Amino acid sequence: MLRTDEILSTIHMLHAEHLDVRSVTLGLSLDDCAAPGIDHLTKKVRQKIVSRASRLVEVCERVGAKYGIPVINKRLAISPAATLLAGHGQAAALQLAKTLDAAAAECRVDFVGGFTALVHKGIAPGDAVVMEALPEVLSQTRRVCASVNVASRKAGINMDAVHRMGHVLLAVAAATARERGFGCAKLVVFANIPEDNPFMAGAYLGAGEPEAVVHIGVSGPGVVSSALRRRLAMGGRLTLGDLAEEIKITSFRVTRVGELIGREVAAELGVAFGIVDLSLAPTPTVGDSVGEILKTLGIAAIGAPGSTAAVAMLNDAVKKGGLFASSSVGGLSGAFIPVSEDAALADAVGRGHLVLEKLEAMTSVCSVGLDMIAIPGDTPPETIAAIIADEMAIGVVNDKTTAVRLIPVPGAKAGDRVDFGGLFGATPVMEVRNSGASEAFVHFGGRIPAPIQSLRN
Amino acid sequence: MTRFSHVFVLNVMSDDHPGIVAAVTAAVESLGGNIDACSQTVLGGYFTLIMIISVPEAILPEQLAERVRSAESSGAAYQVLVRPALAPAGSPAAEPAERFVISAFGTDQPGIVRRFSQYLAGKDINIVDLYGDRRGNEFVLIGQVEVPPRWDVRLMQADLEQMGQDLGFTVKLQHENIFVATNQLRLQHGTAGETANPPTVPANPPTRAPREAGSGGFTA
Repeated sequence: MLRTDEILSTIHMLHAEHLDVRSVTLGLSLDDCAAPGIDHLTKKVRQKIVSRASRLVEVCERVGAKYGIPVINKRLAISPAATLLAGHGQAAALQLAKTLDAAAAECRVDFVGGFTALVHKGIAPGDAVVMEALPEVLSQTRRVCASVNVASRKAGINMDAVHRMGHVLLAVAAATARERGFGCAKLVVFANIPEDNPFMAGAYLGAGEPEAVVHIGVSGPGVVSSALRRRLAMGGRLTLGDLAEEIKITSFRVTRVGELIGREVAAELGVAFGIVDLSLAPTPTVGDSVGEILKTLGIAAIGAPGSTAAVAMLNDAVKKGGLFASSSVGGLSGAFIPVSEDAALADAVGRGHLVLEKLEAMTSVCSVGLDMIAIPGDTPPETIAAIIADEMAIGVVNDKTTAVRLIPVPGAKAGDRVDFGGLFGATPVMEVRNSGASEAFVHFGGRIPAPIQSLRN
Repeated sequence: MTRFSHVFVLNVMSDDHPGIVAAVTAAVESLGGNIDACSQTVLGGYFTLIMIISVPEAILPEQLAERVRSAESSGAAYQVLVRPALAPAGSPAAEPAERFVISAFGTDQPGIVRRFSQYLAGKDINIVDLYGDRRGNEFVLIGQVEVPPRWDVRLMQADLEQMGQDLGFTVKLQHENIFVATNQLRLQHGTAGETANPPTVPANPPTRAPREAGSGGFTA
């Protein structure tokens, strides 16, 4: 029999602190949809998505209701589009993207990720088609999300791809200028892209994954924040070690919720259960914020000295609690610091407390990278590429995933405020210092070699 | 399975103080009897104990009750009720059911427990554990219930939420696995017809009386 205090504490976590499952993402391999003709190919793609994913939303809603946990987003992640598009051209890429968009809408899923190219060691023809098609794809579809992996621990950093992505980001922003460059919010540049990430915009189904698999992204910044505040309100002399312990316990419970929902959804859909991604994914809702957690940990101005240490402790405690809770942890599994999607972070940017360089430092100890950052629309492509290169270097050298989701807002200057709406939130445009000063470095091109794995001081 | 063939249900109520269980069990032991299952709770300073006991020799229930009452030596009077336990063959086959938790929070008023328990009784849903507490003007009610698969949980949730709205209460109905998963180290996945968290003592002992489907006099 369950104890009353157990029931009460869970109810408090679910209802007073608004725990939810952020995303149930169905990974689906489309490799068997390859065909010489694009009409034939897209017909197979639509058929496969609809036949495998049409029940996803209904099952998520039923399972969520059974446990009293809302499943906020239901998503698809496909095997890399670049594989399907090998031997096809840009028109085919757009047709495929529109097919994905329509099939996702038909299945009532929020997003479909996997318009992806893996180019960390070189750009194959299918990859080039994907990269060049991104401005059209991201401006003419609503649900399609794209990602490009330009670096890895074993390959180093493909600077030619990084440079090209600097131009692509500006082209995507220009193609979606009427939406303040919103197309870039659906495009992530990665180092060490995870094969099982359920979070958008970077979700795709990697090599080695089952043909169909359910991955779960839990939320929890609000829950962690509340747990810390409750612990602090209990009084007594607390150290950061005590607070890390509280985060661990909360992470354990949050992870368990994700695994319970994920296994049941997978079983009902008749597909494999993959992983729970422990990431603390904030939303623009006040309180559901990683920034709030940092404030609760005593960082009065986010970006102040101590911010990196606080994020590191948070990130580590989340992993420890989650890993004990589940043997199926994967994806990104860390604390996200997406600026526009986190009201406290966006506020810190507006107040001048948080600058790009400090965010970069924080990303070296947490997940996932420079995320949802609006920058001036006139930032040169080489400077964007150099920002990407810096972030990729952090990932490659530290053997972790890092990513960049920058939005060069057309016509906007540092300090202007942009609102992307919904979960994407609002943020001031951040200043990019020393803009234009990295041109020669980027123009060298080639590949930054893979880093040494010993002598790691 | 009881140790001896003469099986009784024994219920003791008293104001709470140390030594009650010792006194009651001494009385059972004096008859050569065995305690086959027991559960106690303390509420508002009052103690209550229910036991399934078996004894080797036949004894009238009232004689057994008197033996327990006389075991009390501190001057406090026990209220003792004894009845023969029914044979297992007398129990109806239990319908498969999944265990859910109903929680209700709101400003206290008479009739809360009655409203919810009547709703459950009308659906032949058994309450296996019930907790209620008034804190200030707020009342919290938590019931663990067994829901047969013939009921659509989402429709029940809609009924209960509406009932909650009428009473100014927040009401939730959730499968127990969410509470198991978030509180207990070992994660077990229940499937239809079984609970995720089987109690170590059988919830439905063979001596169980015919189901009274949640009607058990719960009023407030």
